[in-house]
Amino acid sequence: MPFTDIAVAVQISFTYFTIIYLTGLGGLFSERSGIVNIGLEGLMIVGTVSGAFGARFFTDTLELGQPWGPLLGLLLGALFGALFAGVHAVATVTFRIDHIVSGVVINLVAVGLARFLSYAFFDGQSTQSDPGGPHLDRLDIPGLSSLPGGIGRAFSGLSPVVLIAALMVVPAWYALNRLRWGLRLRSCGENPEAARSLGVSVPRYRYQGVMLSGALAGMSGAFLASEVIGNWREGQTLGLGFISLAALILSNWNPVRLMFFAWLFGFAVAIPLRLNDAPVISALPPQFIRMIPYVVTIVAIAGFVGRVRPPAAAGRAYEGGGGS
Amino acid sequence: MSEGDGAGGKGSPPLVELEKITKRFPGVLANDEVSLELRAGEVHALIGENGAGKSTLMRVLYGIYPADGGTIRVRGKEAKIGSPRDAIGLGIGMVHQHFALVDPFTVTENVILGEEGGPVLDIEEASKKVAQLAEQYGFRVNPLAVVEELSVGEEQRVEILKALYRGVEILVLDEPTAVLTPAETKDLFGNLRKLREAGRTIVFISHKLDEVLEIADRITVLRRGSVVGETRPAETSKAKLAEMMVGRPVLFRLKKPHVQVGEPVLRVEDLAGEGKLNGITLEVRAGEILGVAGVEGNGQRELAEALIGLRKLDAGSIGLEGTGIVGRSVGEIRNLGVGYIPEDRHGQGLVLNMTLWENAVLGRQDDSEFSTRLGVLLIRKIKELTARLVGLFDVRTRSVDVNASTLSGGNQQKLILARELETDPKLLIAAQPTRGLDVGAIEFVWTQILEQKAAGRGILLISAELDEIYALSDRIVTLYEGRITGEFSPDAAPEQVGLGMLGGAREEVA
Amino acid sequence: MPTESKAAPASLAARPQWFEGFVGQFLALLGSLAIAVILGSILIVAYGESPLEVYSSILEASLGTVDGIGYVLAIATPLIFSALAVAVCFKGGMFNIGVEGQYLVAMVTAAWAALELGFLPGPLLVTAVLAAAMLGGMVWAAIPAILKVKTGAHEVVTTIMLNGIAVSLLAWAINFPLRIGERPGGQNVDLRTDQFPDGALIGDIGEFFGVTPGAHLSWLLFLAIAAAVLVWFLIRRMRLGYEARAVGSSPGSAKAGGISIGATQLKLFLISGALAGLVGMQQILADKGHLPQNYIVALGFTGIAVAFLGQNNPIGIVFAAILWGILSRGEVALQIQSEVPREFIIILQGILILSVVITYQIAKRRLAARQLQRAGEAGALEDSAAPEESSEPREPAHEGTEAFQPTNERDG
Repeated sequence: MPFTDIAVAVQISFTYFTIIYLTGLGGLFSERSGIVNIGLEGLMIVGTVSGAFGARFFTDTLELGQPWGPLLGLLLGALFGALFAGVHAVATVTFRIDHIVSGVVINLVAVGLARFLSYAFFDGQSTQSDPGGPHLDRLDIPGLSSLPGGIGRAFSGLSPVVLIAALMVVPAWYALNRLRWGLRLRSCGENPEAARSLGVSVPRYRYQGVMLSGALAGMSGAFLASEVIGNWREGQTLGLGFISLAALILSNWNPVRLMFFAWLFGFAVAIPLRLNDAPVISALPPQFIRMIPYVVTIVAIAGFVGRVRPPAAAGRAYEGGGGS
Repeated sequence: MSEGDGAGGKGSPPLVELEKITKRFPGVLANDEVSLELRAGEVHALIGENGAGKSTLMRVLYGIYPADGGTIRVRGKEAKIGSPRDAIGLGIGMVHQHFALVDPFTVTENVILGEEGGPVLDIEEASKKVAQLAEQYGFRVNPLAVVEELSVGEEQRVEILKALYRGVEILVLDEPTAVLTPAETKDLFGNLRKLREAGRTIVFISHKLDEVLEIADRITVLRRGSVVGETRPAETSKAKLAEMMVGRPVLFRLKKPHVQVGEPVLRVEDLAGEGKLNGITLEVRAGEILGVAGVEGNGQRELAEALIGLRKLDAGSIGLEGTGIVGRSVGEIRNLGVGYIPEDRHGQGLVLNMTLWENAVLGRQDDSEFSTRLGVLLIRKIKELTARLVGLFDVRTRSVDVNASTLSGGNQQKLILARELETDPKLLIAAQPTRGLDVGAIEFVWTQILEQKAAGRGILLISAELDEIYALSDRIVTLYEGRITGEFSPDAAPEQVGLGMLGGAREEVA
Repeated sequence: MPTESKAAPASLAARPQWFEGFVGQFLALLGSLAIAVILGSILIVAYGESPLEVYSSILEASLGTVDGIGYVLAIATPLIFSALAVAVCFKGGMFNIGVEGQYLVAMVTAAWAALELGFLPGPLLVTAVLAAAMLGGMVWAAIPAILKVKTGAHEVVTTIMLNGIAVSLLAWAINFPLRIGERPGGQNVDLRTDQFPDGALIGDIGEFFGVTPGAHLSWLLFLAIAAAVLVWFLIRRMRLGYEARAVGSSPGSAKAGGISIGATQLKLFLISGALAGLVGMQQILADKGHLPQNYIVALGFTGIAVAFLGQNNPIGIVFAAILWGILSRGEVALQIQSEVPREFIIILQGILILSVVITYQIAKRRLAARQLQRAGEAGALEDSAAPEESSEPREPAHEGTEAFQPTNERDG
């Protein structure tokens, strides 16, 4: 049935939605506090190796079983991501160096760091024949998963993390718009001097924003390694960190809009994995399909440039203290 | 007509005492043992030239800078003010020249930022409070409006509300009327009077002597970091205040050379663009200075930029000795003989990070005199040029190899002037040419401009300072909301010109 | 004669600003190296090794033998091109993160030229291949440049996206048009292009110095150093460099002075792209002789790191690239002789960059404050309102850090 293929593609897209959304959401908090973070890829990488380890460690070694084992594994990935992001935070907030440079360093070091951790945690990267590590039990969405015509496949066999990620939009939106914390965070990204003049500690909120981005990107990586692929392997992040950046920009740094773009790009990633035989798509070489998210972002940025409005002070070093 | 006679302030114990406050910056002694007293229920004006130390002193009071010496006492008790938070805690608030507002936030969000009253925001409650406060003192503001869309005057009200929301009793306003229209200034003064009646203290930093005489109860004059006098409006006059500020009788008028005015150098017709220019028509002739007077924000910047080619226009024509300018690039326009003294000398005049010689050649680096055809710079020649300019215009500097950022404002302006005049422009556009300069520098710049007139150039002078307009212009036009609203001779009474600046047509003047 | 205030002592007047900057920078560099070494030592000690031993074995492996030096220089060569590419744009206030993608595209165009133009005699073929590489890089760099000038699209975003596209483009090229021809016997071969004709390859110069051919030290090194000198000359002594610096530092003033911002930015990106194009030549022309599927990645990002390590100064970049090469080569020493894992090197490299960039920031601020102080003492500031004007010189107001600024101006 033709629908089955599409349905499976959709199911896969939910998975990649999760990855892109979590990472993108992390980037959102960082940028809205005023710190540009292009090191999302590197943060994810750190999350992958620690998450893969965590899943095994908590589930098998500590014998915590389902669901605590894998969940703690995800949290371990978040923790490592947050710690590593701390480097970016110190560099950009305390020492006020260029955000891009710091982000590049994060990406460069992450590869080596992950390799190093892989030796510390297990014995380096897995081979093809390794069995997958533990992961959360899959679930089917009631109702939707029994849709006829193969459509139901799209909603079955999903990791619960997909739902968690989707639901995150609620606390994210609420925190940004209805909590004092969110108001202050956003002020740091729009006009840090004004915030400072009112007693808001800009460095503190920026640290929080950056570490949060590390935690979310790390969790996303952990999800990728333990839930999706099952093993840790080098290079498995595949530029998803940069795709998340693209989704974030297109969404205008809005957590609700981000859901849409994260899913859209998740679908774009899923296409070459599943829909290669579909009519239009089979005519294109698979490599060109993988270009789609990037091309879409460029077109959007170039075409709708007036509409994309980042936090006004993002990227600008905040000089701290003093008047003017 | 002064207002402060006997009203408030007299007899009440000092609310704030600044005792022998000293503050140093690299190379500058900004405050030299300054002592000042503020009382409840008064408007206290702090006047002085740029660099006199007025803002600095208040920033020390507000906790932005730590004092290097002296003590502050609030309500009789010594106070350590290490940050604005401390100051606000003591009831002291400050509204700066450049507002500290978050544009995409609403008025309410801006007011409560930092003082939200709990981890969860209750915007409704806060908006009510803001509205109440505004009503109490006669401010017209919509708590739910987004700041980005407010006018400058409204933004200032938000800033004041921020302070009042936090219960400040002493409100410092730093050059508040610099950005307001005369109507908004009237509103502001009304608000200030209400605040005074309520027992608040206002510190009014300004260099606009007319306004100071109108609203203040007491006036303290600073000069070069020290207090030179304290007085009341009833006991002084504009001339006396000016003399105290500067230390010598100020020449408000220089001798204008008599020059035979020639053909029109510049003809502007129906210039319109981007909403800020709404049909400007004017003419400048050789050997003539046309003064364009107006409150900032009425299209001055846009006019200047349009004339030099930095701005796109929707309609109209600009003719330089007959040659059309609209649509040409900045380089072409300059080559046709236009010089430009921008109002923003950092944003459009100098590259602060580059050396003096690099700045001196800006715009002329293509000349065969300064670079070869292949693009190699002839640095020695450029430095010779710079040395000559620096000497001619008395730019105080160690060498031509230092960065432009090390020059003072006055010297920076001199450098720009030297550079622009070097090309012998037929038309010189001078926008707010003496803003931020001290009297010595102002005199220098005015003299230079008059010399250019004597040399037969056409000069378009755009200025918000009527003194300057009167001192230099042969003809005066007023600019209001992007249109020319009146033409006057320099013999016209300032009130008439002022009316033009407010949009009143010549016919309305009695 | 410039008027010097009577207050200025002769010694102050004598020392030009660039000299002070130079000394300050040098000290900052030393300081940051020291910090990195110390932090690295902490990690080493955590492994129970002696920092002295580890560092000396790194230096031994890289500088102790002629072979080692050869390897170091071979590693440095592509990094010099990469860092120069970044620095050129940076001077103009832009961040070219797209060097990564530009060199990938350049490798494709170079491979095409090598395979299609094989009829050309040796020296001509090499020149054509290098030209094709530079052209490929220029084209790929022109895209974000034109987008920036015409639509205001921020180059940080567009270049990152183009990097992603370039990866796929190269993968496609190797899979289809440039795919290796059938081998006799139909064996399963690595995905790659055909071997280039000999005329396209770049000769090894190592043998002249006694360096093992395994290092693949080629005359690209000389080209790289020449490029550094040319870039220095361009930035400091040529009109375009001057205009670039003005645009990078104060675009408003540059524009008001008649400089065309768009034209300048475009020219810079093209030069940057050309330099980026040469980054991959070491591996495909000097080393492998074909374009493999497992080509060396991250040379673009590493170039950014090296550029900042060298403070975006062409001379500094050459030294920074060599320093990077020393450390990278040191990996080998660690692998063989030490408990410390080889990944320590990349961490050390990361620490080094952050340390340099941070120290340089601090040094610059101190220098600026001191300059201001001197100027004040010389009487130059007597009429200023010191804090009113922002007197702190900043880095080129590069839009890379003010990332994603909206193009619609808001009223100041």
